[in-house]
Amino acid sequence: MTQEQPRTTGAEPLLAAWIKWTMEFWEAMAHMGPGPIMAEIDGDLCLEAAGPGEAWLPFLNLWQAFFSLLTEPDTVAAVFQGIRAPSEMVLRMAQAGWEGYFQLHRQWLEGWESDGILNPDDFEDLDQDIAKICSDLYEKDFRRLLQMPHLRLTGLTQECLNQATEKFNRFQAAMAEFTHMLYLPVKKSLRAMRGVGGRGRQERPPEDFKEYYRGWLKVLEGHYMTLFQSTEFVQTLVHTLLALQEFSAAKDALMAEVMEALALPSRRDLDALYREMYGLKKSMKDLAKKLDSLAPATEPG
Amino acid sequence: MDRPKIPLNLILARLAADAEQAKQRLEKAKDILLGPLDTDIGTTPYELVYQEDRVSLKYYRPAEVRCKTPLLLVHGLFNRETLLDLQPDRSIVQNLLKAGLEVYLVSWGAPSRRDQFFTLDDHINGYLDNIVDFIRGRHQVPKVNLMGVCLGGTFGVIYAALYPEKVRNLVTIATPIQFDTPKGLLHIWLKEIDVDRLVDAFGNLPGNLVNTAFLLLNPPRLLLDKYIGLLENMDNKEFVENFIRMEKWIFDSPDVPGETVRQMLKDLYQGNRLVHNEMELGGRRVKLGTITMPLLNIYGRYDHLVPPEACEVLTKAAGTRDSQDICLDSGHIGIYVGAQFQREVVPTLVAWLGERDS
Repeated sequence: MTQEQPRTTGAEPLLAAWIKWTMEFWEAMAHMGPGPIMAEIDGDLCLEAAGPGEAWLPFLNLWQAFFSLLTEPDTVAAVFQGIRAPSEMVLRMAQAGWEGYFQLHRQWLEGWESDGILNPDDFEDLDQDIAKICSDLYEKDFRRLLQMPHLRLTGLTQECLNQATEKFNRFQAAMAEFTHMLYLPVKKSLRAMRGVGGRGRQERPPEDFKEYYRGWLKVLEGHYMTLFQSTEFVQTLVHTLLALQEFSAAKDALMAEVMEALALPSRRDLDALYREMYGLKKSMKDLAKKLDSLAPATEPG
Repeated sequence: MDRPKIPLNLILARLAADAEQAKQRLEKAKDILLGPLDTDIGTTPYELVYQEDRVSLKYYRPAEVRCKTPLLLVHGLFNRETLLDLQPDRSIVQNLLKAGLEVYLVSWGAPSRRDQFFTLDDHINGYLDNIVDFIRGRHQVPKVNLMGVCLGGTFGVIYAALYPEKVRNLVTIATPIQFDTPKGLLHIWLKEIDVDRLVDAFGNLPGNLVNTAFLLLNPPRLLLDKYIGLLENMDNKEFVENFIRMEKWIFDSPDVPGETVRQMLKDLYQGNRLVHNEMELGGRRVKLGTITMPLLNIYGRYDHLVPPEACEVLTKAAGTRDSQDICLDSGHIGIYVGAQFQREVVPTLVAWLGERDS
């Protein structure tokens, strides 16, 4: 066979086969079903006994006529012959959908490859960079899903909820990175203590565990002090705090929506009230002070 | 290359001995932990003599008054004032009372969200000034002695610079003035923080966040070694009681009013404006040169929170001719509860105040 096969995505024959099989199944069902059903319908269709169900009669007649027509083999063949034409349209539509999905999937994979996520070399430092990798993965892919614009039809709350979820995820990612950074001195100090006494491999190991512990603690403290003064740590700390602040703000916005929906005062409302109270209290205190300072002068005599 | 041999038999023998010791310790610890423990803090009797909003003033009366000028203690907003009266045998308040000083202690209370708009100006030109006026009126004295602790000391310095006519003597303990120093971790970290976003997001600075920051200053000691120390001393009732007292205090940081934090972080930690006489409060410039009263400046050599570099500049920047620095071999908390402070510094402090009482 030398006939050239058309280039397909691989999903097309599968889908075509499925639609064809579905049609054959329902065609066979249409041939099998109607006999006994119709007999039963005929048996129940006693007009005199129907009484109050008289109004249903035209519908039942229509139903009977439709099924009678449907059970005729020729009709069935004609109907399904008719359906076969639109089925090609359905097939094309489904094919476009499949292709879209595959394209999206391919874009993701390509994105990961270009970002270096799937670079095998990167996995050598997986332990060290796992938090960062997860964070990058989230930032570049999943986050975009939560940031998709919303139709007003779904309401603002949905958008707020997505924002809060998104900010929570970012905070978690930042926190994971921060926690991992805090763990680094422990790892380094343990590595340093792999040599005996924490001062080199050639030394005799201390017989006293406490001495060993004290040595390790000193090394650990040193590593922490170095870490805490580093630019990397300060940047990670600032980033984590920022993520926490953003999550807190997004959570407040969501809560404000919910409170508004429940006709309850939100934190924003209370803050505005507190600000007013603060201003009033301050004015009142200033006035009281001024009155106190005026009091002796206004006293008679 | 010969690798050193591990003396396994010795290690095992020690472990066996330690295990026996640990068993005995645990048995005793069980009795201590399940028995009655006195872990109350701030137990010295006092009288609440002034209240304004959430801020209150505690008055401690000595058995015999030996100093004419009352002493006002001001601590920072980030911790509770109970640090100054933490445990009965190491209480600054009690030692001052024994020396015959009338002691007042400011309690900033527990700020809630409704306090978020209170500024540094409200705290210093408002609450603190009202309290000083109250004490002056109560004792019929023109001036008070002012002792500030940590950032409370910074408050005291600012107050003394603005109202030198109301302060007879100024004592500062572990008080940061020079905020632009690479020695203190807090000074490094806070420089980079986006203060506006922080305050806008939280309203008040959460106490839990403050606690976490303090713990981060030295995780090996504060998160590990401290608790190992507890395990090793679980059979010592006094140790356990004092340990729990300190735990209570450490983890009881109140929230700090947002607007106050905003100005403190911006003007002090990020702008370092106080030491350069550029800070303004209530429309008035704070000039350290106006601190003309006698000044005693105490700080710790090993203080990782407020390093000596942040404190020692005060005596040089102040306008007084009567100033003295005392540098202790201590860390931050050790200054207040350490044996050296109670045994040596409090008597020195009392004598110093006594000499300048008239």
